[in-house]
Amino acid sequence: MNRLVACALALLPAAAFAQRQYIDVGSPDFRPMALALPGFQAAPEALADATDALQTLRDDLALTSVFELLDPRSFLADPREGLSSIRFQRWADVGAEGLVKGAIRRDSQGLAGELHLYDVRAGREVLYRVYREKTARSLAHRFADDITQYYTREPGVFRTRVAVVRKSNGAREIVAFDADGKASEVLYRDATILLLPTWRPDGAEILFTSYRGGKPEIWALRLADRSTRLVVALGELSTGAVYSPDGRQIAFTASVDGNSDIYLLNADGSGLRRLTTDPGTDTSPTWSPDGRRLAFVSNRSGNPHIYVMNADGTQQRRLTFQGTYNQTPRWSPRGDLIAFTARDERKVFDVFVVSPDTGKVARVTQDQGLTNEEPSWAPNGRLLAFVSDRTGRPELVISNPAGDRQHVVTTDADPLGNPSWGPMPQ
Amino acid sequence: MQAFGEAQHPDRLWTVLAVSLVVHGAILSLGVLGRPGPAGDLEQKPIIAKLVRFGEARPEQWLPRRDVPAPEPAPAAAVPVPAPAAPAAPVAPPAANAKPPQPHPASPGNGKGSDALERALSRVRKDQALAARETWGDPSGSAEGTATGASEGDRYLALVTQALQSNYRLPATISEQERLHLLATVVLIIEPDGRVSKLRFEQHSGNDAFDQALERAVKQARLPPPPPELQQRYRTIGLGVHFRV
Repeated sequence: MNRLVACALALLPAAAFAQRQYIDVGSPDFRPMALALPGFQAAPEALADATDALQTLRDDLALTSVFELLDPRSFLADPREGLSSIRFQRWADVGAEGLVKGAIRRDSQGLAGELHLYDVRAGREVLYRVYREKTARSLAHRFADDITQYYTREPGVFRTRVAVVRKSNGAREIVAFDADGKASEVLYRDATILLLPTWRPDGAEILFTSYRGGKPEIWALRLADRSTRLVVALGELSTGAVYSPDGRQIAFTASVDGNSDIYLLNADGSGLRRLTTDPGTDTSPTWSPDGRRLAFVSNRSGNPHIYVMNADGTQQRRLTFQGTYNQTPRWSPRGDLIAFTARDERKVFDVFVVSPDTGKVARVTQDQGLTNEEPSWAPNGRLLAFVSDRTGRPELVISNPAGDRQHVVTTDADPLGNPSWGPMPQ
Repeated sequence: MQAFGEAQHPDRLWTVLAVSLVVHGAILSLGVLGRPGPAGDLEQKPIIAKLVRFGEARPEQWLPRRDVPAPEPAPAAAVPVPAPAAPAAPVAPPAANAKPPQPHPASPGNGKGSDALERALSRVRKDQALAARETWGDPSGSAEGTATGASEGDRYLALVTQALQSNYRLPATISEQERLHLLATVVLIIEPDGRVSKLRFEQHSGNDAFDQALERAVKQARLPPPPPELQQRYRTIGLGVHFRV
């Protein structure tokens, strides 16, 4: 015994003064949360609505990239369980971490929906909402936004819309899709070329480039009455207009005397000023979320690359040095990334993101068709919309910025292009 | 006899305590005088290594490729091929002078067509070769390597890092804002067979979901046995791990 004590005492100082080594482990894989969505309860007159709402909710949540929806075939929903008497262990056994229960009923005033969200591990209800909406899809979008908000503490984007340009029967249309690629609505149709729609921050207006005046000009479409107005026609070409985040200014590209540059205009049409003067082609401006900087494309170094400058045109600097044809930059609403299209060494167009601070480039799409292009950020900055020909024709794809969760959300017979994700509903 | 033994017992203990105090004092003195420790370079901050994949280095000016496999195509997705030129046109028999779409060998004597075809085929082969090369590495790398970049350091710690890293999964619901600040430090007591016999939080992150995910990562990871000279160390004072996002 004494020997043991002696040994311990002798070893004590070595242990006490030996420094512990530390290692760093980072870059985790983000694992989607397992959610179970059994069928919604509904009276016979609302069965179709309940089915529609559940499918829409499943589609929405699948797009978020943060949920893994359990296959309904992997569990048998107990019809006696109801909305509140939950057998949590049973759901835990099938791997559910969250459980969504809903009920839909139809009456003279439309549809009413009831949402219950349960934390299966904690064994308690964590969210309860009741809504009235006109359609089952609207109800489901609200549910999806609430569930997303609860888990991520950030607003959901399922009541926003994505505007795209569609070539249809020789004309061009500005079409708005729900974020899940459904419920398309033609907002504007023009027999001439129509390009690059972008939303005003309040969602009330869309800027676009039109050739209706015989050359590219910037027009605005007011959504309330679908009226249009000419915003600016400068030089030989005016195109690619984007509102500043506060809606007070418009940045755009204009070619005057053969030199394409970035210009700025007050929203009321006054205060035109030129931001770039380089003899190279400067185009495709996009605002930083704080409105203090702009990213744009310039070929002043020989090939098109992404550049950044202050909103007054000062401190222009090159941001990308990889690739030979980088274009269509879009600054994330979070400010931490700029998404863009680039042509790689195989002449394939893919979507990338670059940090405006470090210049580090990461790939979003890879080996998925020949063209993935024109990314646009969701207003919460968690998702990207872009067009891809991976299914044979250009369709809308929703992806997380890491690119490991991508969904082709449209099956439109006509080619789509120039997506622009709209703002949150006002 | 027994009485003699009981009488001797306290004296021996005092002797041992005295010796221990002397040893403590000596080691403290060594520490104060800044003498290097006896166990090699155990006190140095480890340099973590990744095994560098063997292969040709990807040119720096090229756009990066993702190391992870591309996601599965959508269920309705077709093989990404260019759309046919006139899909709506009815299928007509090929004209007499029309070239078949398949790359048949060019007819002899048609030098121009043959060259063009050969160039096209060459380009296709080159593109296919580039597409087939999914991974890039370093000419001095290892066949077992997984990293594209190179660094040097302690092999064992690199393997531990790799084992933990491969099980380091967080709930995707953790918001971007929270991710900016999440950090937790755990101490692992590692047995000579690589088993983690104890996990203790030295610093919690403040986010339960994050902390629980770290515990799961450690439990699921299979750590390699430490090298013999480090077994005692990791079994007693353990190995610290900073988990970051």
